[in-house]
This record gives sequence, structure tokens and C-alpha cells, in this order.
Amino acid sequence: MSNKEEYPVEVLKSLEDYNIDIRDFIPGHGKSAKLLLDFNKISGIEQVEGIILKGREIENGIIADIIIKEGTKHEEPIHLCFGVNKESGVQEIFPRIIAEDNTDVKILAHCSFPRANGLIHKMYGHFYIGKNCYLEYSETHYHGENSGALVAPVSHVYVGENSVFENNFTLTKGTPGRVKILIDIYAMKNSIVKSNIKAYGRCKNDSIRIRDSVFLEGENARSLIKMKAAAKDGGEVLMYGITEGNAPYCDGHVECNEIVLGKGSICRARPFIRATDPTSSISHEASLGRFQQKWLDELQAKGLTEEEATEILIQAMLGE
Amino acid sequence: MLLELKNVTVPTLDQKKTIIRNISFGVKEGSIHAIIGPNGSGKSTLAYTIMGLNNYKISNGKIYFDGKDITNFSVTERAKLGITLAWQEPARIDGLSVFKYISLGIRNENNIKEKVKEALKTVNLNPEQYLYRNIDESLSGGERKRVELAAAIAMRPRLIILDEPSAGLDLIVIEDFMNIFEKIKNLDITILLITHREDIGMVANYGTLLWKGEAIITDEFPKVMVKYCKKAGLKEFCKRKLFENFMECYEEDYINNIFKEENV
Repeated sequence: MSNKEEYPVEVLKSLEDYNIDIRDFIPGHGKSAKLLLDFNKISGIEQVEGIILKGREIENGIIADIIIKEGTKHEEPIHLCFGVNKESGVQEIFPRIIAEDNTDVKILAHCSFPRANGLIHKMYGHFYIGKNCYLEYSETHYHGENSGALVAPVSHVYVGENSVFENNFTLTKGTPGRVKILIDIYAMKNSIVKSNIKAYGRCKNDSIRIRDSVFLEGENARSLIKMKAAAKDGGEVLMYGITEGNAPYCDGHVECNEIVLGKGSICRARPFIRATDPTSSISHEASLGRFQQKWLDELQAKGLTEEEATEILIQAMLGE
Repeated sequence: MLLELKNVTVPTLDQKKTIIRNISFGVKEGSIHAIIGPNGSGKSTLAYTIMGLNNYKISNGKIYFDGKDITNFSVTERAKLGITLAWQEPARIDGLSVFKYISLGIRNENNIKEKVKEALKTVNLNPEQYLYRNIDESLSGGERKRVELAAAIAMRPRLIILDEPSAGLDLIVIEDFMNIFEKIKNLDITILLITHREDIGMVANYGTLLWKGEAIITDEFPKVMVKYCKKAGLKEFCKRKLFENFMECYEEDYINNIFKEENV
């Protein structure tokens, strides 16, 4: 496959809403490694030097191996697109991502289900990040406008010594449907973990539950989990931010900000922090409800109504 | 009068105390009108009350804007009429760009980008450097205040309330801010300047002295200032400094007469 006309246009269109250049996902364009999935079929796969990308189709999805060879550094991100243009069905992805020592790459994954209405998407991901690596994994989701998706990804991440892992998850467009995300990150000596989660439940059929856990297992390991969410018109968001400090001088923080709009909407935050080493430092902060009155006052003094001011602040918070 | 307050009283939110008591004064269109007074005299409360913020409701009196009774108008309605406020410590909001923030108050959607750039230039910020920065912690206090002023100017309001614009700024920056006030005035925007510093107030044509929640005098600014110093127990040094400041802006006879009238 070599051009976008052969791939469901609706799936690619949803990338534009996130300001993502859709051409980057089409094999034959640009210099990046890429994997393009159309429901349970691999539509395109392209490797570049230092990055091995293999995929195998199974009954309801694929197994994908992404291996970043030792010393590989790439400015161009690896593009992964898991699209489903059907209303219903089951898509299961089993990605295994290995970043060998001294590598520096970004992975941009996009899960797009524009017509979802009874669609199930599951992922069981395993990340292994070696020593002295930098790996940024950014995943954006679009589940259409029918609240018709059930999305349940599970990931386990091992972050090696002196490595940095940055995880960005964004689900702020369309109606999410039912979303259950679980990610466990194990941070080794001197490693740094940053995790940014953004989600927006827009109606009563949207229920988002995200559990983001970091286990600081190595000396001097550090982490910051930032969870931002809004629930509107009956939507429900539950964020679990978990950090455990199990090694000397490790340092972790969990921050959660959630905004509730309209009757019946619910936001919940459950930061869970645990320290088993006396030299560790683990903290959390959470705020729920409405925006600070002062912020609203400042925007209203520019002629905005409270509703307009709130919408602007949500856009800013979720980086829309 | 562009703005007129008649017998305005503002209690605390729990209604147990009175912050502003029976205040009346007017602000002439095209002028810079300073509200001066010591800390705790109710200056910021007065600013927020005129802006119509939710937690500052008057228990008695009326506020008129261009002859229209706006006492029961919301903050949004007042902003749409042409009143805005630049905060003493404007908020820092992650993810909101300078461009977006300034453009929020621009009603006419033609050439928004040019209007935002123009507003940034008015407050001496280079648009190329600031347009797409965020109004978060990465901006210094002075930069954030300039962006706040730019946002107010971009609205092209009829009245800007500047709440302690000099707070937290160093002397060189303050002088620059005073030049910016003159630029705002030249845009035919009336300024209500809330300050506790007489040197900042020197740009004002008129003033009102607020003392323990009451308006003591509304007059030409030097007269108000001398009254303020007298009430505060004017020391010789202060008197000299005040005289020097006045001499930069006014005729000597005029100043001498004021000091004589007030017997200082």
C-alpha cells in the first residue's frame, strides 16, 4: 500500500483533529518506521535502519514486535495507526516494544474508531526499555460520536537504569464510550518516568477509568504522573494515580485535576501513594469540581459567559 | 461622567462587616482617575465591585456607566458594555497561549492576529517572541502583567480598571508602565488606576482618596494626594518628595497654593 486513498479516509481524518499529519502514517511517505492496521489486517508496514517492525495477524487482531536496535537515535517518530472503520467487532493488539541500550526514539500511536457502535478494542502491551534510553510514547484516541466503543488497553513497562520514559495518553475528542486503561511502570536506578493522561467524558454514556501506576524500584528513580480530565453532561471519569517508593532516595509525585460540568457528571480521583523506603519522597495533590473563581472572573471580564470561560479553560487544561 | 458611583456600600461576603461605606464619586471620560489609599482601605474591593465580580455585591447604592444603571449587571454584561479589569496578580494558566488569551476579548473577528500583535506592541512586548508562549509560570511577573494589559487594551474597552499595576515591579519597569498608561489614554480609553503609590498616581488627572472604606475627597490629583499625606501624618521628607514629584508635572504656584490650602 502506498497512498492514503487505499486506507479508510474517516480513520485518517480523525488524526487531523489532533493536528497530526496523516501522511506520516502512510508507508512510502517520510522517513519514519510505521505500522498501519485496518481493523485486523495489516495494511502497511515499513522499517527504517535500526528499527525492526514486524507484525503477524491473528484471529482478532495482530501481534506486533517493535525492536529499536542498540544505539539507534531517530528524530522522526515511529508511527502506529490502529484504525477500525466498522461499527462493531473485536480488535486485539499485542505489541511488544523493546528499546535496546542507548536508544532515543519517539512512538506516535493513534487509535481511531470513527464509527464505533459496539466495537471492542483491547491491547496487551509490553515495553522493555534498556539502559540510557529515551523513549516517548504518545497515544491519541478517537472513538467517534456514538459513545459506542469499549476500549481496554493494559500495558506493562520496564524502564532501565538512567533511562527516561515519557508516556502521553490523550482522549479528548469525540465521545469515548467505555474506557478502562491500566498501565504499570517499573522504574529502575536513576530512571525518570513522566506520565501525562488527558481524558474528556462528554455524555452519560461515557465512562473512563484510568489506572496509572509507577513503581520506583531503583535508587534515585523519579516519576511524575499528571492526570487531567473533565466530565460533562452525565459523563464519568475515575483516575487512579499510584506511586510506590521502594528504593533509596526515589522521588514521585501524582497530580490530578478534574473538572465536573453539568448535572449527573462525576469525576473521581484516587491517588494512592506508598513508601517502603525511609529515604524516599512520595507526594500527591488532587483538585476536583470547578475551576478557580479567579480564573473564571478574569475570562468573564473579557466578555465571556461562565460557560464560555469554562470551555476555554477545559481546552487549555486538556491541550485541545 | 463615564462612571458614577452613588452611595455605594459593600459588605463582606458573610455580610458581617462593611468594607466600603457609602462611597460616591465620578470618573470623567478620557481621564486617568486614581484611587489612592493605604493598604486595607478597600481599593481592590472597589475595583472588583465596579467590575461586578461574583463575590463583591453591593448592599446599598447605585453604579452608573455612561448614564446607564449597571448595579445589577453581571461581570460579563459589564465587560460587553466596555468595562474591563487588569488584575494585580493575573492568573497563570497552563495550556493557554498569549495569543488565545488576548484574542478572547476581541469582538470584531477581522484581523485578530494583527490586533493581538498591536496590543503586544503597545505594552512593549515583541509579538514574535510572545504570541505563542503560554500564560503560565514561564512568564515573569512583569511579563504576565504586560500580557494582562495587552488583553485589556485589545478589547478596546471604554474603561480599564488597573488594580495596583506597579505591585512587584522594579523601578525601571514602573517608569515603562507609566508610559504605557499614557499610550492607553491616547487610545481614548479611560483609566481607573488603583494604587497606593503617589509616584504612580502622578499620571492621573483626578483622584479619590479612600480611607478605611470611605471616600474622603475626589478632586484634581495633587489636591487628593496632599490630603492623603496630611491624613497619614506628613513627614518633612515626604513633603519634599511630594513637592519634587509635583514640580515635574505642574506649575509651582499651583502646587504652593495646594500646600497652603491644606496647611502643610
